[in-house]
Amino acid sequence: MSDFNSWLTLSRGRITYRAGLKIFLFALLVTFINPTPLLIIPGPQQSVKSSHPILAVHTRLTDEVEPWKIKRTLQMAREMGASRIVEFFPWAYYHAEDGGIAWDHPDLVVEHASTQGLKVIARLGLTPEWARPKDSSLNYLDSTAYDDFAEFASAFAKRYQGQVSHIIIWNEPNLSYEWGYRATSAEDYVDLLKVVYPAVKEASPTTQVLAGALAPTLEPAGSPWGLNDLEYLDEMYSNGASEYFDGLAVHAYGLAFPPESEPGTNMLNFRRVELIRDVMVRNSDRDKKIFITETGWNDHPRWALGVKPGQRISYTLSGLEFAEENWPWVESIAIWAFRFPAPTKSYMDYYTLVTPEFVTKPIYDALKEFSFQDSD
Amino acid sequence: MTMRINLDISRISKFLPFQNEQMIILSLLLIIISGIGCSSEESSWERIEAAGVLRVGLDPTYPPFELTDGQNLWGLDVDLSHALADELGLSVEFSYFGYDGLYDALGTQQVDTLLSALVFMPNKTRDFSYSKSYFNAGQILVSLPHLEMNQVGDLEGMTVAVELGSEGHVLATRFEKQLQSLNILPLVSSDLALEALVNDKAEAALVDHISARLYRIKEPKLRISDHYLSDEPYSLVVRSRDQELLRQIDQALQNLSSSGELERIISTWLDQAK
Repeated sequence: MSDFNSWLTLSRGRITYRAGLKIFLFALLVTFINPTPLLIIPGPQQSVKSSHPILAVHTRLTDEVEPWKIKRTLQMAREMGASRIVEFFPWAYYHAEDGGIAWDHPDLVVEHASTQGLKVIARLGLTPEWARPKDSSLNYLDSTAYDDFAEFASAFAKRYQGQVSHIIIWNEPNLSYEWGYRATSAEDYVDLLKVVYPAVKEASPTTQVLAGALAPTLEPAGSPWGLNDLEYLDEMYSNGASEYFDGLAVHAYGLAFPPESEPGTNMLNFRRVELIRDVMVRNSDRDKKIFITETGWNDHPRWALGVKPGQRISYTLSGLEFAEENWPWVESIAIWAFRFPAPTKSYMDYYTLVTPEFVTKPIYDALKEFSFQDSD
Repeated sequence: MTMRINLDISRISKFLPFQNEQMIILSLLLIIISGIGCSSEESSWERIEAAGVLRVGLDPTYPPFELTDGQNLWGLDVDLSHALADELGLSVEFSYFGYDGLYDALGTQQVDTLLSALVFMPNKTRDFSYSKSYFNAGQILVSLPHLEMNQVGDLEGMTVAVELGSEGHVLATRFEKQLQSLNILPLVSSDLALEALVNDKAEAALVDHISARLYRIKEPKLRISDHYLSDEPYSLVVRSRDQELLRQIDQALQNLSSSGELERIISTWLDQAK
């Protein structure tokens, strides 16, 4: 009893400081008692077998923390026949103000992708708090921080040289939201390319730099939401962008239209990418490849721009076939998105190929079958 | 924002059941932490009661729950809005928004609530609260009356028709792994999946509750299970701080359910030809 009293002294409603400290230390000890985590090893080297190497998929491992889920995702992407993945590596998550970079998570993703034989296109973006004004959004990248971003991008390219083939500089800079809730400016974005491109090339000459990842939009000049992607690209060229990127990343969503629907300057559909290509050709940049880093159809029953689940499958497959037959200037097409770590319970869930529990959707099986047609 | 607080412990310790300084500071910290998240903003309920109007936001593009021809508005959610307002002693004022803009409209106080076949979304719960569910649009088994299909196990050795690529199709592929034998028949629409029952091409169809009820209007002999194999609960949505409004709505929904009025409204739109 006296031993117990020395641990916990209760007297007229008082708990002594010493007893409180002991309880605190005991609670702290309990929180540290956890089962040993499973060791997830990458496993033997694999290679992608597919008769349609144009097929890629945008994974969403940015917020996936469990190594076995990262491995399983990339394994399933390879088994589906995707030759590449597009993955987002947020600058803000990794780079500290003192210059230190936390490589653990990107190392995990890149290593598992390499083991599965998948090429990696890395999208870099999101500004750390220390590199942007107070209360600004994560997408706010001021010109004063371009050098900091270039430092991160070049360190990333150097570390993953030979594993990450391409990096995309920022995301959808033609949308105000993605440009930190500021008016979009192709001139500013080209200034960013002018700082980042040479830094990356110096660090890793073989890494290909992709510009853009332009969002398909019809917003006119002066709109608070963004700027028409065709106009934005034209302005990029006017500001001397062509020497500062090796290929163009483009987002090409089909929305409610079949993939064969004719493109038009006043509409958004899968073949809008042909109009993007026209802008490149007009600006004497025909030799550069286009990488469609996000595409797909959505089968949410409530979304006005969605399609029926069966249409989603047939449109996706015929879109890939159409691109293979008609777009020699397109290097790869990444379906958005492979899987989310948890359900969003919104229309975004209806873009995925696999559920958070790794249950394959029929579109995954259809893509897998498509990939292995005529393959050895 | 960082605040510096200087405390004279001796002045407040006499109000506490213990005098030890560390414990006092710990208690004060707990009190401060427990207070974080409490909003000082007023609830909307008093204003709604005073105005006598419940402002409802919806996206009228989803029959039979809500649809408009530009002049008239009709559907299950519209009738339910009126019934709820009656229970609360209010009239209803509808505002239309695109599906993607519904939550923004509620967040910016353009409406008091959303009643538009909306499903609980965990990532919205910081700013919004959901009422009790008034309808479950989840996946269920439909069969001919002599075959009572309710559970996964009932599908052993059977053929189940599904809409290609749908939620039902995904579920069926999961069940396929749990059962020794299951033949999945994917068809391009839920109507065709249900028609497969009538044409003896399948013993069961796995479709959403709405499609099942609407198809049964033309094939009344079909049996719809009352056991959901997945849940898709529809709820009203209010701003998180409007807890009194939420309580009133939940009570009104409870009253409508108890009186049978809720089921009558649902049946009007899902069991009767229009």
